[in-house]
Amino acid sequence: MTSVVESPDREFLEAAGAALRGTGPGEDPLEALGWWDLLAEFDDRDARGAALALFRAQGRELADTAALGALIAQPYLAAAGAEPGTLVAVIVRRSARGERLLAVGDVAGRTLLVDRPGQGASVIAAEKTELVPVTVPGRLTLHEVRVDDAALTPAIAEAEAAAVRARAVYLGRIGASLEILGAAEGTLALAVSYAASREQFGRPIGTFQAVRHLLAWAQTDSVALESVVTTAVALDAVALDAAAPQRHDEVVKALAGRNGRRICERAMQVFGGIGFTAEHDHHHFHSRVLALDALLGTSAELTHTLGAWWRESRADPSASVRALLAETGS
Amino acid sequence: MLHITASSGSGPLRDDACSYAAALDDWLATRPAALEAASRPIAAYDQRVAVTSALMGVLYDEGWARYGWPEQLGGFGGDIVHRAVMWDALARHGLPAMALYEHLEVLLPTLVALGNPTFMAEALPRFLRGEQVWSQGFSEPEAGSDLASARTRAVERDGGGYAITGRKIWTSWARYARWCLVLARTGTTESRHRGLSAFIVDLQDPGVEVRAIEQANGTDELAEVTFDEVLVGPERLVGEIGGGWRVAMHILAHERGTFGWFRHNFLTREVLDNLSLGRPAGDTLLGNALLDLAAVRASSFGGVRAHAADTVLGPRAAFVKLMLAASEQAVNDWVLASDPDLAVGVQDDHVAVNRQDYLFSRIVTVYGGSQQMQLDTIAKQILRLP
Repeated sequence: MTSVVESPDREFLEAAGAALRGTGPGEDPLEALGWWDLLAEFDDRDARGAALALFRAQGRELADTAALGALIAQPYLAAAGAEPGTLVAVIVRRSARGERLLAVGDVAGRTLLVDRPGQGASVIAAEKTELVPVTVPGRLTLHEVRVDDAALTPAIAEAEAAAVRARAVYLGRIGASLEILGAAEGTLALAVSYAASREQFGRPIGTFQAVRHLLAWAQTDSVALESVVTTAVALDAVALDAAAPQRHDEVVKALAGRNGRRICERAMQVFGGIGFTAEHDHHHFHSRVLALDALLGTSAELTHTLGAWWRESRADPSASVRALLAETGS
Repeated sequence: MLHITASSGSGPLRDDACSYAAALDDWLATRPAALEAASRPIAAYDQRVAVTSALMGVLYDEGWARYGWPEQLGGFGGDIVHRAVMWDALARHGLPAMALYEHLEVLLPTLVALGNPTFMAEALPRFLRGEQVWSQGFSEPEAGSDLASARTRAVERDGGGYAITGRKIWTSWARYARWCLVLARTGTTESRHRGLSAFIVDLQDPGVEVRAIEQANGTDELAEVTFDEVLVGPERLVGEIGGGWRVAMHILAHERGTFGWFRHNFLTREVLDNLSLGRPAGDTLLGNALLDLAAVRASSFGGVRAHAADTVLGPRAAFVKLMLAASEQAVNDWVLASDPDLAVGVQDDHVAVNRQDYLFSRIVTVYGGSQQMQLDTIAKQILRLP
């Protein structure tokens, strides 16, 4: 309705939303959607675009799948000799409390990929690890993966792993950013409809300019994020040397975390007290955004790092106009 | 050179914006003297106007600035994409601002679409060459955000033509301009937006007085313009009588949707020109500016593309306008942190320009439709709030 950049994947977005809503208990919506097959066709730009569009739908529907780890594992498939649908990457998180391995979504029956820079990538069956549930709102299954390093099977040597690592992180960041966009859009849509129906002082609160401007700002942040992330997906499809500007995945992910949080905060202000209850859906969207912001580089750290990099490198971080032209076929 | 094969008619790169971009890039890399002169920081506004106009003359003579404009009006053909490429390239090669040539992108697309073709066939090349610049007379002392309450009157004269009387304010670059696109009332005051018409006024005609407004940032490119029975011929009517609002909306919708592309390139330039002053304490501010610039770039390129495809962006243009203002403020938040000299004194042209740009960034949420009006537009026309 409000996109500045029209996504060619809109149709898939709708289909993904329907599949995620309509899958019964025990069924894998990714299977129903044919999503796993897309991972095998990643050289095809349409397949890649469709695979990524899933994440936006997943955010909107608060769907709970293992897609993020599978997306990150995609570049390793060939080197690991693995079939799509079997391999799911764990996400390594480091905080002041040490390093943790996180598995997103239900990973039962899958093989987990653990890639540690400097040591190459290893695999292990999920069943052979200790999966400790991490309870967060957001209708997201999260497990801390505890594994004895001796139990890991080395699968990809460091040189080979290093060759695909940046690509894996790139895909993970774009996927997570799209899911943040979807979740933020989800709660913003609720807030807009709430503002139109909730009455105070005898009229809908959406008639008050203060409330209208909160929502207009949130929509602006949402459109900004949509433009940046869909442009990144499109640039990724251009067969042109260095089409995507340097560190573009960090820019996208930093913007997603920042704008996603701002949208949630403004929506919550519009909901008032009800938005701070467990009963209302807002906190699920909000927590989903917070969880994804914390994975693959937080907005705070990426924003700071990007600033330092720009200052020191004096590079031009903009997408080149020729790449943008190629992307749109002008 | 490849691009100067045509003195009129279509340019050889008309249908290939990518090749145009590559060829222009090569030419700019030779560092033409006019580019060098216009790329230095210059505090004195008159001088900045002079070097930028000189550069425009060279860009026209070399053919570059003629792309993106219709052949029948002296251009080389092509569309806004060529212009988007040209200004992007100029910024990347060191030009710090479009200055008064911003009006090429604000006013000319509408004048080309709705103005008298014979008149525009003379006026457009003169603007492109930097000889005769344009200004826009919309705002009035009593008509700011509420543009439809404009009071300047145009009275039809016996024997044809109109006499314009009234006062316009915040008229950017009027002091340097030959022409002004004036929104004037041809109907009753009660007719609001339906009673407005758009006229092209020669600022050298009798009855016109231009008074510069010295601004808080030290420059004086804004002006107050008064009209006392200024006569305009019927060929200077743009659109139809009573069609002034349509002209104004055409300009504003175009400006808000695509202007972000043109202006944000110069904000990136501003950062690049100040990176050597950056300090680690400002890194988060700089990172935020980078994110905001990326958002404007992605969304405004969509606006450029929509314009090239003759698609009306409509109320969605408000998003780009809001993002652009946010990015300009984010960039200048970082400039202030990196160059605190700008706040305590003016030592040289670089500091003076930083001071001008920083202070100007505090008013970008006002001009061209205030931030509050943009938010109202989104709330009403996009979110459809009650």
